[in-house]
Amino acid sequence: MQFRLEKRREPSRLMSYATPFAAVLLTMVLGAVVFSLIGYNGIGAVREIFLTPLTNPYKWQDLGIKAAPLIIIGTGLSIAYRANVWNIGAEGQYVMGGLAGTGIALLTYGMTGWWVLPLMVLAGILGGMAYAAIPAFLRTKLNVNEILTSLMLTYASVQLIYYLIRAPWKDPMGMGFPQTRLFSEAARLPTIIPGTIVHLGVPIAIIVGLIAWFIMTRSVFGYRMRVVGAAPHAARYGGFSENKTIWLAMLVSGGLAGLAGVLEVAGPFQRMVPGFPTNYGFTAIIVAFLGRLNPLGVILAGIVLAITFVGGEVAQTTIGLPNAATGIFQAMMLFFLLAGDILIKYRLRRVSPQPSVGAA
Amino acid sequence: MPNRLELTGITKQFPGVLANDHVSFAVKPGEIHALLGENGAGKSTLVKMIYGIMQPDAGEIRWNDEPVMVANPKAARKLGIGMVFQHFSLFEALTVLENIALGMDAKIPSRELESRIRGVMETYGLALDPHRTVATLSVGERQRIEIVRALLLNPQLLIMDEPTSVLTPQEVDQLFTVLRKLAAEGCSILYISHKLHEIKALCDTATILRAGKLVDTCDPRQETSRSMAEKMIGTGLKDIVKAAGRTFGPPKLVVNRLSTGKTGHFDVPVDNVSFTVRAGEILGIAGVAGNGQNALLDALSGELIGDDSEAITIDGLGIGLLNTTERRRQGLCAVPEERNGHAAVGDFTLSDNSVLTARDRLGMVMMGLINSGAAKTYTGRVIADFAVKALGPASTAGSLSGGNLQKYIMGRETLQKPSVLVVSQPTWGVDAGAAAAIHQALVDLSMAGSAIVVISQDLDELRALCDTLAVINMGRLSEARPVKEFNVEEIGLLMGGVHGATEGTDAIPA
Repeated sequence: MQFRLEKRREPSRLMSYATPFAAVLLTMVLGAVVFSLIGYNGIGAVREIFLTPLTNPYKWQDLGIKAAPLIIIGTGLSIAYRANVWNIGAEGQYVMGGLAGTGIALLTYGMTGWWVLPLMVLAGILGGMAYAAIPAFLRTKLNVNEILTSLMLTYASVQLIYYLIRAPWKDPMGMGFPQTRLFSEAARLPTIIPGTIVHLGVPIAIIVGLIAWFIMTRSVFGYRMRVVGAAPHAARYGGFSENKTIWLAMLVSGGLAGLAGVLEVAGPFQRMVPGFPTNYGFTAIIVAFLGRLNPLGVILAGIVLAITFVGGEVAQTTIGLPNAATGIFQAMMLFFLLAGDILIKYRLRRVSPQPSVGAA
Repeated sequence: MPNRLELTGITKQFPGVLANDHVSFAVKPGEIHALLGENGAGKSTLVKMIYGIMQPDAGEIRWNDEPVMVANPKAARKLGIGMVFQHFSLFEALTVLENIALGMDAKIPSRELESRIRGVMETYGLALDPHRTVATLSVGERQRIEIVRALLLNPQLLIMDEPTSVLTPQEVDQLFTVLRKLAAEGCSILYISHKLHEIKALCDTATILRAGKLVDTCDPRQETSRSMAEKMIGTGLKDIVKAAGRTFGPPKLVVNRLSTGKTGHFDVPVDNVSFTVRAGEILGIAGVAGNGQNALLDALSGELIGDDSEAITIDGLGIGLLNTTERRRQGLCAVPEERNGHAAVGDFTLSDNSVLTARDRLGMVMMGLINSGAAKTYTGRVIADFAVKALGPASTAGSLSGGNLQKYIMGRETLQKPSVLVVSQPTWGVDAGAAAAIHQALVDLSMAGSAIVVISQDLDELRALCDTLAVINMGRLSEARPVKEFNVEEIGLLMGGVHGATEGTDAIPA
């Protein structure tokens, strides 16, 4: 029995919805096998990582606050990736958004007023945009690949945190710890469900996803992103300049990463600490692809990836799985997804074995 | 003598379409056999099965009276079947010799290969320097590389897929001489083309396919071009209806000393081109592919923007600095040569493709939002008016055959009623029935008062369609003259770069 890939006449819609689910399932199966082989309780690991966060209501709030930044950043990335603009440096833009928000929080330290938080959010968005503008400028003016520049700038942004919290922004009462002082009340993100840690960022993430979905499907902006990504030559013919699209894609994805950053620093952290960069910006790349570069899909994918984060922590304590296990599961998911994508444009067909060439 | 190639009951099923339905015909040794049919009639599929790119679902292929199973192109070449594709597979940065060496199944020392190449060239009068870089060669010369590559294997059957679509009339004559010589030596030739007069001039037998079925096998010399075209499309053929004694209005599109910079490594830029198209006039621009046609289209459509506002004017208004969107608002629409990926997005629905160029002219955008209902309605009208074979506005552009996609694109632009329409290769690879419909649409648009520029390599098309004609060569345009004043010989010479004394584009250095 032989199988052969055959090109479909139309890309399969069914497959484009089915492969993300298949990728998650395959990850669970293969994850169980791999961790069993290296001596852990594989099935237990999969259960703890993928099911416990869902079945245990105490974990739901963790899911929400982990999913929020992933959804916000993933939404921005899904827009940029649609246009084939490969912003890999969302982590850096997230950090810069967080730092810009921190700057405002420290400047307004001790002040009260409803305007502090919106000002921080605005600064965060602008900070992320400004940091994404560097790769956009280099790409459009000097044709420097944005993958490299945006990625490398991530490491620069982390160093900037270390510098700021060790010298100018260091908490004067912090007993030498490298961190800023705790933000004043006006600069902290309120929780929306009393008694939990679920902050305002969670509903904001859902709203961002929904608005982005509407814009991408209905507006000329969304059309521009899709047509530039699908056929750059046709986009030019249709009147969409490539450089303007690169700028828009970088600014939108950078701005949303910055938004996630400021919400994160004003919400769960409430101060800038060395541990602020938590790889949300990189994980959001998986979120964007698992969500099929569709903002609605990104909301779901953000929750799935949040499950692996929360579940990974659970598995660490319950069955002693190393922290890196989470990363392995996430990477497997991306690989299965990318591999499964071939089924969207191709179908697998069984062919009967054929007799070999009868060269007469 | 046994038949060289005999097909019996060849059938090939694709999802949703029967590409070949019990096709049977035979090619004799030394015969030049034409394979005719509309786009999507199944010619390519049939040829791909002979050359081993795909396998038939049913039926038998006999080669020199032996049943064979051609597993892949390598096996086909081993049998003695050579093929020259419509689209060449050559590396532009490599030499002729290197390109040929890369395509050989067996490893042959370069010196021996060179002497064999020179031998083949001498035998068939194919002049070509093996050490020239492909990028410096004309399309006709590039085709010779492909032919030499096929002939090095001493084929008993040579398959040629639309070989003349890119050649000047003189190059076509040279090609026919080579093919006749090959046939005289006993090599059979399977010749696929849309150009019926060429088939009449060259071929001994013609097999006509329609919708995957064999319609007729006839002697093209006993048929007229019209009778063959009617067999291909299955109905009577319509002539272009053009009102006699038309008069033209005032100048509409005036191009004055238009030049473009060099964009790509191997692109030919437009060099100081001037012409005028009046309201109601169709100007044809003839020329061999790769002589600046793409740059000219891009410069007119606004994809390339120059630095002189007055280089292009519509009704006296300078549009040289406007981008494509603004030019469309001024009434200039354009259709580039490449359909998939340039004029249309293959992965998008037809409805979304209508948004690409019609969104502003037809009010499909309100406050930054797309009115998808309007796009759908308009697309439905294009599909109906231009008889596009598609399931509906929600079909993706990539699922349409080349000819149908072209009909859709031409419909999308002409139904916007542009005051100036610039089209490149409007009927390239389109069957006779669809071509007639597209030609009629262009004529109707011109009669409604639009100025039309048709860039094409098909001289028959230009002579039938246009009122005035100019020839582009190396980015420079000859003077436009009424099409009746030209004879084919003269156009051919201009296409080859021999300019007459009346040449109007010689510029005073600025």
